Amino acid sequence: MSDKLTYSQVNRDVMRPLFNATSLWWGFMAIVGLGLAYGAVCWGIQLVWGLGVAGYHPPVFWGVYITTFVFWVGIGHAGTLISAILFLTRSRWRTGIYRAAEAMTIFAVMTAALFPAIHVGRAWQAYWLFPYPNQRQLWQNFKSPLMWDVFAISTYFTVSTVFFLIGLVPDIAAVRDNTRGWTRRLYAAMALGWRGTDRQWHHYMAAYGFFAALATPLVLSVHSVVSWDFAMANTPGWHSTIFPPYFVAGAIYSGCAMVITLMLPLTKFFKLEAYIHIWHFEHLAKLCMFTGGILTYAYGTEYFVAWYSDNPYEWGVFVDRVVGKYWWVFWIMFMCNCVLPLVWWFKKVRTSFMGLFVVSLIINVGMWFERFNIIASSLAHSFDPAAWVYYTPTYIEIGILIFSFAWFLLWFLLFVKIMPSVAIAEVKETLRPPLKSEGVAAK
Amino acid sequence: MAEFNRRDFLKAGAVATTATAAACSYDYVVPQEKVLPYVVNPENVQPGLASYYASLCNGCATACGLVARNKDGRVVGVEGNPDHPSGPGLCTRGHFDLVATYGPDRVAGPSDGNAALSWDDANKRVADAITAATAAGKSVAWLGRYRSGSVAALLDVASARGIRRVNWEPLGVDALLAAARMSYQVDELPVYELAGAKTIVSFGYDFLHTAFGSMGMAKGWAKAKDPSHDGFVTRLVAIEPRLGQSSSQADHWLSAVPGTEQAVAAALARLCAEANGYAGPTLTLVNEADVPKIAAASGIAETKLREVAAWLTSGPSVVLPGGPSTAGAQAAHLAEATFLCNEVLGNVGRTVQFGRGSRPGHVSSYADVKSLLDDATAGKIGVLFLDGVDIVHLAPAGLDAAAALAQCDLVVQLANEPDDSSGAKTLLLPTGSGLEQWSDANTETGLHVLGQPAMVPLKDSRAVGDVLLGLVKALPAPPAAVPTDPAAPVVIDVATLAGAATTFADFLKARWLALVKPAEAEPTAWWRDVQAKGVFVHKVAPTSPVWTGGPVSELPAGPPAGDVALVLFAGHLAEGRWANVPWAQELPDPISTYFWTTWAELSPATAARLGLDEKDLVKITTDQGSIEVGWFGSPAVRDDVVAVIVGNGKKTGKYAKGRGANPYRLLSAEAGWYGSLPLSGARASITRVVGNSGVHALVGSMHQDGRSVAVNVNVDDAVNNLVGAAGSIVPIHHLPTDPRVEAAGPVDMYPEPQHPTYRFAMTIDANACNGCGACQIACAVENNTPFVGPDQLRKGRTMSWIRMDRFFEGKGENPDIRYLPVMCQHCAHAPCEGVCPVLATYHNLDGLNAMIYNRCVGTRYCANNCPYTARRFNYHSWEWPESYHLMLNPDLSTREMGVMEKCTFCVQRIRSAKDLHRDVAFAEREAGKPVNMRQNEVPDAELRKLTACAAACPTDAIVFGNWNDDKSSVVKKGTTPRAYTLFGELNTKSAVHYVARVNHNQPANVGHHGGGHGEDHGGAKPDADKGTHGADAHGAAHEEG
Repeated sequence: MSDKLTYSQVNRDVMRPLFNATSLWWGFMAIVGLGLAYGAVCWGIQLVWGLGVAGYHPPVFWGVYITTFVFWVGIGHAGTLISAILFLTRSRWRTGIYRAAEAMTIFAVMTAALFPAIHVGRAWQAYWLFPYPNQRQLWQNFKSPLMWDVFAISTYFTVSTVFFLIGLVPDIAAVRDNTRGWTRRLYAAMALGWRGTDRQWHHYMAAYGFFAALATPLVLSVHSVVSWDFAMANTPGWHSTIFPPYFVAGAIYSGCAMVITLMLPLTKFFKLEAYIHIWHFEHLAKLCMFTGGILTYAYGTEYFVAWYSDNPYEWGVFVDRVVGKYWWVFWIMFMCNCVLPLVWWFKKVRTSFMGLFVVSLIINVGMWFERFNIIASSLAHSFDPAAWVYYTPTYIEIGILIFSFAWFLLWFLLFVKIMPSVAIAEVKETLRPPLKSEGVAAK
Repeated sequence: MAEFNRRDFLKAGAVATTATAAACSYDYVVPQEKVLPYVVNPENVQPGLASYYASLCNGCATACGLVARNKDGRVVGVEGNPDHPSGPGLCTRGHFDLVATYGPDRVAGPSDGNAALSWDDANKRVADAITAATAAGKSVAWLGRYRSGSVAALLDVASARGIRRVNWEPLGVDALLAAARMSYQVDELPVYELAGAKTIVSFGYDFLHTAFGSMGMAKGWAKAKDPSHDGFVTRLVAIEPRLGQSSSQADHWLSAVPGTEQAVAAALARLCAEANGYAGPTLTLVNEADVPKIAAASGIAETKLREVAAWLTSGPSVVLPGGPSTAGAQAAHLAEATFLCNEVLGNVGRTVQFGRGSRPGHVSSYADVKSLLDDATAGKIGVLFLDGVDIVHLAPAGLDAAAALAQCDLVVQLANEPDDSSGAKTLLLPTGSGLEQWSDANTETGLHVLGQPAMVPLKDSRAVGDVLLGLVKALPAPPAAVPTDPAAPVVIDVATLAGAATTFADFLKARWLALVKPAEAEPTAWWRDVQAKGVFVHKVAPTSPVWTGGPVSELPAGPPAGDVALVLFAGHLAEGRWANVPWAQELPDPISTYFWTTWAELSPATAARLGLDEKDLVKITTDQGSIEVGWFGSPAVRDDVVAVIVGNGKKTGKYAKGRGANPYRLLSAEAGWYGSLPLSGARASITRVVGNSGVHALVGSMHQDGRSVAVNVNVDDAVNNLVGAAGSIVPIHHLPTDPRVEAAGPVDMYPEPQHPTYRFAMTIDANACNGCGACQIACAVENNTPFVGPDQLRKGRTMSWIRMDRFFEGKGENPDIRYLPVMCQHCAHAPCEGVCPVLATYHNLDGLNAMIYNRCVGTRYCANNCPYTARRFNYHSWEWPESYHLMLNPDLSTREMGVMEKCTFCVQRIRSAKDLHRDVAFAEREAGKPVNMRQNEVPDAELRKLTACAAACPTDAIVFGNWNDDKSSVVKKGTTPRAYTLFGELNTKSAVHYVARVNHNQPANVGHHGGGHGEDHGGAKPDADKGTHGADAHGAAHEEG
């Protein structure tokens, strides 16, 4: 880190966006509010009239909602990867970005968690998916991958949230010390009595390490479990052993791309260039290039296996994806995930603001279409040719898709106003400690 | 915060509690209803137990027997009457008639369009109008459908008393009847015995659907196709411009140039005569046919005709007459030419039987209808009775039926709901449903069917017979001799009987006792017996009529002008009769799988020529008018033909109104030769109209892409049992692996479910299935599955628990159209069960894949995971409009929005059968008898037709039973070498077993044994053979390795 930075400068810079809402922030909030309102109306219509208002065309019983669910679960991967795995591997470049990435993870999982309720036919009974003691002595089916999902997602959400809040403790304490009144009481509660003593630091670092270790396997397990929703089914195009690694790679790919998409403007708006360099983004881009490569390889493997297995149903789906009615979905996915991001192999592109931002957006689009491609095209072209159909979403589904982005951004916008988006304590670790002679309060 | 004291806390708490309570109280507010017990229990009625009444189906002119199931006062189901020759089984129309009984448009009582009337007022108005008309010198006329039995007898009397009577069947028996009169001097429709025929040539006869007597022919057809029946499999040759439901069963399709069919039949007669050395009296007539010239004009190669003649002369055969698609101006001549073929082949008296056929007695032709309406237009008709003929809808363009009706002083419409013919001068007299009123029929010589009311009429209706009886009594008795029943073995005085009867039921009974009852029988016991059985049969021997017909080999003069030939055909709505029955509108057409509208069938080449886009409409123009409809590219239509379905295009009716277009408006008002209405053959031009037609196929793919869904086997293989071991015709697809692994067979991760007593299973014989849809509509009626309407159906959201797969596997002369009814397969290793997170679906001890609607959350994972896509999701709260709700089967619930449902194997029927047998066993045990605990098992005879689909199937293609019982029919049929399970390689261990169809064009299995399992399976290259008939032939040849 720059020698020019001092502890107090870090405090000032990182805490500047807090508390004073700019008109730009309010503008974003207004857009988010519109999106939420539109989506809420769409969902209301769906609750009253039934799922028929969505475009479902049997046997395509899953569509945009599950696509979006998987998309957001995927987005929720980068944060914990960056905060936990990179912490354990002592990758220093995580410092500037991990806080926002982690927050993004939690909000993405919160967004994803809405979808099971939106998607089921009787949303008012969605709580039946949880095993809870009841008079009727009803119990859940633990053979069902959807049941595994419930546990995987809720566990992941709990652990990431706890990890996130623990990571925040020293920074919240710093914010506490700069506030007054009721906000101070709030931050004081969240800071858990942090004083910054050596003893506290000692325990804190041990605990943080443990949580990082606990969160690490979840990064791999959550999307593996989500992928089993598909891989465990016998639907051609889903029933595949490659799904868990393929989904995890895809999730990290999309997650890192989303981190770039969010943090680039964040850095610009909040003038955090001193803490988050283009160098950070280049690292993320490299991670994307790596996972994108895995993804492209997985696509190829899927096709090879479908062809080599000589399974007419499997091969039928894979051919249909390329040249059939959903050709456009496949080609959007392929171009956005496998071809266009190759420009990042040029250092010039992956170190330029626009190059990073545009390509990360492309990857986000591509990854959404990947899930749509897997879900819709497989169901639309399954075993019995008499049941081959073409499903397209309706405005209700698009509305709820918009709602999900608005919901996610709502939390993210609140986050940047309430919590330090950059890990103050960790940044300070990289700085030269202030000396008493310099007369700077070290906090 | 400090201000929030104890009082505030209590206040806030009280408000919160009240608010919560108020919020919670907004739950289902159950309206208070009073439940009143019977003060005097009706005799023999036990609430919850059904009563069964033998009655008569009023769905079409054939008048089959049926058994109506009355549950708690309402008929909630109909099945074929096993004592009737056409039973068991009941086609779609019998079920439509049940649905129509509950139609929301039914009028409450007599009405004149403005106000409701009492029956007395209505009768008085009719009587006054008749008096006024007679005084004014105008006639009283009756325009109605073909009627037999007691109603026909009353019409005879009315006719003798001066009523001008026209009985007409819109889809036409007039041409065939005219041909019988010309050829043999008989007024009779022959009975075609298809069961014994080795070769059947059809000139478009819709023998499985709209033709008169189709139930009997469907049964005969299924037997003729069954290799175990006679040791052969019949070969069907269709000679017509467009393949419909019946001819879709054809092994060979020879499409003659429209209009030349009659000459082709004559040429066949000559070639058959040459082949079998016929030297009968008609030889000179037969030899008039100039075969090469006819071959050239018709476009069918002479060698092909000779081949057909060789098939025809190789064994028992039938040549069937024409149907709607060949009903041109010369329809009667075509039918005559087919009689000549049968004469030459010696079929008359054997497979084509006169003497026991239908003797309608009085069937008018379309020409009579036209002259009646012309007279009405001229103001010569004072009172016109309309009985079941919606003439304004059915009239061709040049015949302004609405204007004709407007010229009558009074139009008395005998119908339950207003239709297009109801106008300002219409007096609507509701005659009730056949399930509510007495009726009878005598549509085959010697076969008398009794139609008993099976429930109290829902509306204030009276039987047609009652109206007619009143009419007969109101008319002055004629000075001439009283008419007698022409078909009667004993001469009875109908007029006297009618005079003596106060109600139609009295008359009917008196007539039956006088006419039908054998002389030696005791009247009371006999009548009771007839009421129980619903049928009484006099044995009648076939007669041997002598040929008197004339020349038939004429070719149409000159090449046809215009673009294409117009062909009208009837689908599930028949001529339009069922247009207001939503379930009929919703039943997908067997060929196109379209619904709820009117469409045209074009060949793909024609569509390409016009540059048609999927959504486009076609404008069909004749010299009479034009319509714009959606289109379907059918490989079973000639390039120079446009085929349009009739039935829609009505202006009246909650469900019929404004759907599609009325193709009758394309026809000329001119009657064809011998008076029939030429439904086909008019010249038309077609143009593309850019737009959104909204037509949609319910079946996704035209062909099965080389997959083994509907499987064919070669006819010789089937007859000689060369298809290999049981279960081998659809082998498992996987890579060749280690032979030891192969030898071990499939390995299951989970143990086989236990089925201690029953393993309910079904066998579906695809060889007997002709795609009629009776199973689908029967299922809907039994299981309360709603209709969803065209908008939802376009998204494929059918709630029908049975999907009818339809594949065009052939091309050109080998059409090879396959049907396969697919419902829940009740797998032992069900993919749906494992994935449900809340255990809403599970496998029960009877082998049923059970579904708990109340537990279902609606994740729809089960439906995704079902390889058969047999599950249905309730996307909305479906409509059960007023009065259809009365049809709901009380034995099971309707399903709420957001839950999954599917075929249950009619679990409610299984439950009641089991309960009944358990009750019997308990009763015996209480009586001190030693009871074998297995005694309460339901026997195979009862299980065999237990489900609604099996009970409805006219051809016995669906058989239900207990797979644990080795002697059951379901096991016997389901373990034949031709049997297979759908997608068996998925190891779902499904309970539905299909029996492969037998086709004459399927390549033989012999010589294809050996080779790896599924190696180079045709289906692995889905697009390689797209659109060619070789696709499946190729695939199947490999499959059988």
